[in-house]
Amino acid sequence: MQINLRHKGSVTILDIEGNLVGPNTIALKNIIDDQIRSADSEPVYMILNMERVQMMDSSGLGVIVAAYASIQRNKGRVVLLNIGGNIRSLIIMAKLVTIFDRYDTEAEAIASFL
Amino acid sequence: MDEKQQLRISLTLSSSMQLIYLLDTVISDILKEMKFDEEAQEHVNLAVIEAGTNAIKHGNKEDIDKTATFEFIIDEEKLTIIVTDEGEGFEREEVANPLDPENLLKSSGRGLFLMEACMDEVAYSENGTIVKMVKMRNSPMSEIENGRSIDAN
Repeated sequence: MQINLRHKGSVTILDIEGNLVGPNTIALKNIIDDQIRSADSEPVYMILNMERVQMMDSSGLGVIVAAYASIQRNKGRVVLLNIGGNIRSLIIMAKLVTIFDRYDTEAEAIASFL
Repeated sequence: MDEKQQLRISLTLSSSMQLIYLLDTVISDILKEMKFDEEAQEHVNLAVIEAGTNAIKHGNKEDIDKTATFEFIIDEEKLTIIVTDEGEGFEREEVANPLDPENLLKSSGRGLFLMEACMDEVAYSENGTIVKMVKMRNSPMSEIENGRSIDAN
């Protein structure tokens, strides 16, 4: 799995490529934790670009739910970008559809933080 | 005599999460061969990954000396998957419902729920160390797999 980290203004964007499954999810968790830690209790605004994620399991769901909870604690927000049908149905199945805001374009996702 | 043909595939893995990808490879090929539709393939794939994670991580606690066994049984009507681990087992009733509002933001505890949501049947035996999952197939077995055509009746 590959994760590309970039910033646009105050927004952190993680472009994720590969399957968010099992041990693969640890890399994403570590990057998110690093971003939260380096923000030093300031709000984090994060986009998880999942355009190139074909599959996600409960471990992957756990990582993005933990990210949501940690980031929200400091008044920040994490949103999902370009999620495919299978991940969308997983999020619906797990009743997380009301938790995560989802966008189809990066511009819309960034605008949601303004 | 009309005997039902069954194909059996077994896979035994040492308890390392690094081997989970093998499950994905094996089950993906089986599902394509069985001609499950795309959604069913995604569901079964997810259920197998979850069952594998449970067996290796939670059951065998990633003890490399313990194994998890996966048996895939293919017949005309369904795919049956039996996962066996060497752990201490668990009581299904004691696992919290991840859909309860107080559990929604927990970072773990969704594996069993997803298995049950994705498969047609899930049954636990031997104190949860054996999990049997069934997915009914939605297209007839091909002549290549079956050696003969299937009577629609």
